[in-house]
Amino acid sequence: MAKEPVRVLVTGAAGQIGYALVPMIARGVMLGSDQPIILHMLDIEPATEALNGVKMELVDAAFPLLMNVVATTDAMVACKGVNIAVMVGGFPRKEGMERKDVMSKNVSIYKAQASALEKQAAPDCKVLVVANPANTNALILKEFAPSIPEKNITCLTRLDHNRALGQLSERLKIHVGQVKNVIIWGNHSSTQYPDVNHATVTPTNSEEKPVRSVVADDNWLNTEFVTTVQQRGAAIIKARKLSSALSAASAACDHIRDWVLGTPKGTWVSMGVYSDGSYGIQSGIIYSFPVTCDKGQWSIFQGLKIDDFSREKMDATAKELVEEKTLAYSCLN
Amino acid sequence: MAKEPVRVLVSGAAGQIGYALVPMIARGVMLGADQPVILHMLDIPPAAEALNGVKMELVDAAFPLLKGVVATTDVVEACTGVNIAVMVGGFPRKEGMERKDVMSKNVSIYKSQASALEQHAAPNCKVLVVANPANTNALILKEFAPSIPAKNITCLTRLDHNRALGQISEKLNVQVSDVKNVIIWGNHSSTQYPDVNHATVKTPSAEKPVRELVKDDAWLNGEFITTVQQRGAAIIKARKLSSALSAASAACDHIRDWVLGTPEGTWVSMGVYSDGSYNAPAGVIYSFPVTCRNGEWTIVQGLVIDEFSRKKLDLTGAELTKEKELAYSCLS
Repeated sequence: MAKEPVRVLVTGAAGQIGYALVPMIARGVMLGSDQPIILHMLDIEPATEALNGVKMELVDAAFPLLMNVVATTDAMVACKGVNIAVMVGGFPRKEGMERKDVMSKNVSIYKAQASALEKQAAPDCKVLVVANPANTNALILKEFAPSIPEKNITCLTRLDHNRALGQLSERLKIHVGQVKNVIIWGNHSSTQYPDVNHATVTPTNSEEKPVRSVVADDNWLNTEFVTTVQQRGAAIIKARKLSSALSAASAACDHIRDWVLGTPKGTWVSMGVYSDGSYGIQSGIIYSFPVTCDKGQWSIFQGLKIDDFSREKMDATAKELVEEKTLAYSCLN
Repeated sequence: MAKEPVRVLVSGAAGQIGYALVPMIARGVMLGADQPVILHMLDIPPAAEALNGVKMELVDAAFPLLKGVVATTDVVEACTGVNIAVMVGGFPRKEGMERKDVMSKNVSIYKSQASALEQHAAPNCKVLVVANPANTNALILKEFAPSIPAKNITCLTRLDHNRALGQISEKLNVQVSDVKNVIIWGNHSSTQYPDVNHATVKTPSAEKPVRELVKDDAWLNGEFITTVQQRGAAIIKARKLSSALSAASAACDHIRDWVLGTPEGTWVSMGVYSDGSYNAPAGVIYSFPVTCRNGEWTIVQGLVIDEFSRKKLDLTGAELTKEKELAYSCLS
């Protein structure tokens, strides 16, 4: 007996990340190879023809799991009945723009989308904000969609988490599947803190070991590793002349899949979630924490020891998020 | 006990189709969710930095099935040990270029890639040519890699096949997975013949012929055909870029069904070395209906070909013969 289809919304669907993301969703990467999907794709008016082109290609791909496609520039239509919302659409920073200008544009967008989602989405809709500034866009969305449970509004730091795993796998010349439990703390920005203090690696035919002892290079782990992960987005842009779409789309699928289907035993992942004050991080911001997921709910993994080096970095990224929040609110007045 | 990794080459990997294709391969869409893969990505030197960017993103995606990535502009390194080769790289037609010029460029490319594959690929390497002119590029590759079995060299018409399924599903408002057994005959070009005479739709009661359910022969013999034939141009018009997502997806379908087998009662379309079946010209790469089993494709025989279809099969066959002549003239 086939499952009932799940409605998944992708905003900004005519763009780069959308184009990488929709075939992944349609193939079951996000929700499993037995879960039929109805895709809702939203973009702005100028992108109507391109959006329709994407819809045409989805039809042309004859995906067995894809039951229907709704392609629209109307946010109310796009949000109707959606169970999952991946917010990729936003105002990108252009040359010459001040931070306040970018923030202002995105605050307007996320305020409006919050409204549409709140009115139209299915109950218990799970929301993932990808568009930058991801954490603050998610916060604005939360503030203006008060009837969506705050625990349902998250932002993407899984890309940074996966990048951290990737860097360790390259350093240790081991398959990435054998590394786990890095943490991305804080903001999806250059102040993020990629923390390996609780990460482990399981070499082939051997038992699980702390990454720090196997890497045996604290200097690298505390400096170059951190900056490489923090600045990886810029490195991709330099190489490709375009920002990361493939890896961002893949991380969005991982984020939703683990949230909905649960994290593997003994493993946590990083998600930007509404802070409840855990680990001394003030509440009222969307902050990336280590989480486990079970039965469609995330829980912050508690009780991890935080050393002084980490404390400083965790606080610095929190400080930036508080500043962003202040800036965002000033744009609303 | 985990399977041994399979080495998959993608040429032209820094381009649009490559960028859509490599994450699909890395997620198991091409060979199954339990099949580890090692990706070989090849492109030309001007694309080296972009290619490296793709490699970086593959590392950043932390794919559980991806056991290694070789990103190179060296065709020998790229071809070494590969079990599957998806040839996406080719010389695209630019404004003002004559057909002969495009053909000439691609003939050179596929002649040298043939050589590298023949010398360095794993035995029994399966080859899928995507870059246009796909059928003729595949033919050149076959001619210059004589030790690769002719049956291992194919070209992509699965995109057209899937497009045909999609059009029928939209017309009938049914799930595309309930439609099957369309056929794409001939060349992956505007002379391809999308044939629904043997296609069926699963209904609650039984499988029914498409013609019977559509009840509009004029549409099936007219607009449906031209829509499928010209779909590539329609995508370019809408997106201002050619189809990458659907081409990549079709490439995965082509390889997956070839390697893992077609479902019972279902055939697919593949451009394969013609043995003269259905009076198609022998010695060209021609798209036929095939079933696949144990890693081998077999042309579905015995289908009745009506007069209307006969003309169309011959037309696309004639075009392929002309392309072959043009290609050979470029070699002299």
